[in-house]
Amino acid sequence: MPWDWEEYARRKGKVNVPFQIDQLREKWSRFQKFAGPPIVVVILILIWMLSGIYIVSPDEMGVVKRFGKMARLTTPGPHYHLPYPIETAIKPKVTKVRRLEIGFRTISPGPPAEYRSLPEESLMLTGDENIVSVEFITQYKIKDPVDYLFNVEDIPKTVKDAAEAAMRETVGKTTIDEVLTVGKFRVQQETKQLLQSILDRYRAGVMVVAVQLQEVHPPKAVIHAFKDVASAKEDKVKFVNEAEAYRNDLLPKAKGKAAQVINEAMAYKETKIKTAKGDTDRFLNMLKEYKKAPLITKKRLYLETIENILSKTRNIVVPAGAEKIVLPLGERTLPELKK
Amino acid sequence: MKKAPWIILAIFILLIIGSQFFFTVDQTQQGILIQMGKPVGETLGPGIHFKLPFIQRVVRFEHRILVYDAAPAEILTEDKKNLVVDNYSKWQIIDPLKFYQTVRNIAGGQSRLDDIVYAQLRVELGLHTLTEVVSEARSILMEKVTVRSDKLAAAYGIKVVDVRIKRADLPEENERYVFDRMRAEREREAKRYRSEGMEKSIKIKTAADRDKAIILAQAYQEGQKIKGEGDMESIKIYADAMTKGPEFYDFIRSLEAYEKGLNNGITTFILTPDSEFLKFLNLKGASSK
Repeated sequence: MPWDWEEYARRKGKVNVPFQIDQLREKWSRFQKFAGPPIVVVILILIWMLSGIYIVSPDEMGVVKRFGKMARLTTPGPHYHLPYPIETAIKPKVTKVRRLEIGFRTISPGPPAEYRSLPEESLMLTGDENIVSVEFITQYKIKDPVDYLFNVEDIPKTVKDAAEAAMRETVGKTTIDEVLTVGKFRVQQETKQLLQSILDRYRAGVMVVAVQLQEVHPPKAVIHAFKDVASAKEDKVKFVNEAEAYRNDLLPKAKGKAAQVINEAMAYKETKIKTAKGDTDRFLNMLKEYKKAPLITKKRLYLETIENILSKTRNIVVPAGAEKIVLPLGERTLPELKK
Repeated sequence: MKKAPWIILAIFILLIIGSQFFFTVDQTQQGILIQMGKPVGETLGPGIHFKLPFIQRVVRFEHRILVYDAAPAEILTEDKKNLVVDNYSKWQIIDPLKFYQTVRNIAGGQSRLDDIVYAQLRVELGLHTLTEVVSEARSILMEKVTVRSDKLAAAYGIKVVDVRIKRADLPEENERYVFDRMRAEREREAKRYRSEGMEKSIKIKTAADRDKAIILAQAYQEGQKIKGEGDMESIKIYADAMTKGPEFYDFIRSLEAYEKGLNNGITTFILTPDSEFLKFLNLKGASSK
C-alpha cells in the first residue's frame, strides 16, 4: 500500500510549514531590535561609496568623468572617484602598442606562422602606373588618452583606413623598382609621417610607432617576368665569367707559344752562328795548309772525294762519245765530272 | 518599527523624479532638448543638465568624428580612364539642431554626405589625368574635395573633416592591360641584361683572340728578327773567311756539295775514260803517251 502523505499528516494532526521563512523572519526582527533600522541604510550607503575605489595599473591612465563630462586624469596607483552615477572612471592602456595588419592577416601565429594575403588591400598603383602588392603592419599607441577616448569614433578602423590611404599615396609617388628595392625605407618613413599627420588632423590622440613593410612583391600575374629579370642579371654575370674563363685559358697559352717561337728562333740563330764559325774555322785551317802546297793538296782532296763518292754509287764506264747510246737517261741525270 | 524599507523606497522615488529633472550628456556626445516636438535652447555639451519632466526630452548626438566609408565607385579621369575609387569621409555633427531638423539621424547624414562627396569627387577627378590622381595631385585633390564638401554639408549641420581616397585602383580589364605592359617591360629588361652579358662576353672573347694573335705575331716578328740576325752573322762569318781564300773555298765547298748531293746510293755514274778521274784507265791514252 502506497504512502498517503496527507492521510499521514492528518493522523499526526499537524501540517509541516517550510521552516526557513519562519526562521528568517525571526532573525530579521531580532536583528532589527538589536541594530535599529538606520544601520542597514548606512551600510548600503557605505558599500555604494566604497564602489568608487579603483586602481590604475602601471600601463594605464585613469580618466574620470563626472556626469559624463571629462573631469580629471589620474596616474597609476589606487584612487577614488565618487560612486556611479556621479562619476565613472575609464582606464585606457596607454603604454600598449597596438598592431594592425594591412594587406594580409595572420591565420595562426605559429610557429610556423601562417598568413593569408588580401589582394584587395595589398594591390596598389605605383607612380609609373605599375601594380605592386604591398603588405605592411602599423603599430600605434595612445598619445593623449583624452583625445583618444573622446574625439574619434572607432580608432582601429580610423588608423587602418588612414594607413591604407597614406601607403597608397606614398607608393603612388614612387616607381615600382624603388618600392621593390632601394625605396623601402623611404616609403616606410613617408607613410609613417603622412599617417601621423592625418591622425593629428582628426585629433585622434594616437601616436604612430612604426609603419613596417612586410612582403612587397609584384602581382602574381607578372611575378614570373620579374623573376626572369633576376635570372637575366645572373645570366649576364655568367656570360662575363665564361668569357673571362676563355680569356684566362687562351692568353697564357698564347704567351707560352710566343716564348716557344722566340726560343726556337734564338736556337736557330745560335746554331747558325756556331755552325758558321765552326765551318769557317775548319776552312781557315785547311786554307793555311793548302797554301803551303796548293796543287798537290787540291789533287788529293779531289781524288779522295771522288773515291768516296764512286765507292758508293753504281758506275758504268763506256768509251768516250758512246755515253748517249748507253741509256736514254737524258742529259739532266748525266753528271758532270769535269775538272 | 519598519523604517528601513521606507527609507530605501524614498531614495528610489527621489532618484526616479531626479532622473526626470536631470540628465547627463557624455563627453563623446552632445544633446538638444525637444519640447513638444520642437527643439529648444542651445546645444548641450557634456555634463549634467536640467529639463522639465514629461514635456521635454533629450536627443543625444555623437560628437566624435565619425567615418563614412563609401562603396567603391568607378570614376572617369580626364584622360578617359576608369578608376575604381574607394574613399572614406571623416565627418562630425557640429550643429545638432540643424542636423536634427534636416537629416534627423546618422544614417540620414551619411546618405547626404554620400551624395555630396561622390559628386565632388567625380567633378574633381574629371579634371585630372590618371597619373595625377594616383601620384602628384592626390593630396591637393582630396583637400579640394574636402573643402567643397564641407561647404555644402554645412547646411546639414555637418562638418567634413577629411575626404580621403583610400584606394584608387584600375578596373579588372585595365588591370590586365597593366599586367601585360609590366610583363613586356620586364621582358625587355631581361633581354637587355642578357644582351649586355653577350656583348661583354663577345668583347672579352674577341679581345682575348686579338691579344693572342698579337702575342703570336709579335713573337713571330721577334723570332724572325732573331733568326735574321743569326743568318746575317753566319753570312758575315762565311764571307769573312771566304775572302781569305776564295778560290780554295770554291773548290772545297764544291767537293763537299758533290759528296753530299751525289753520295745517296741511287746515283749511277756513266764515266768515259777521257774524264779527269779515269785518265789513267785509258790504256789507249796511256800507250799513246
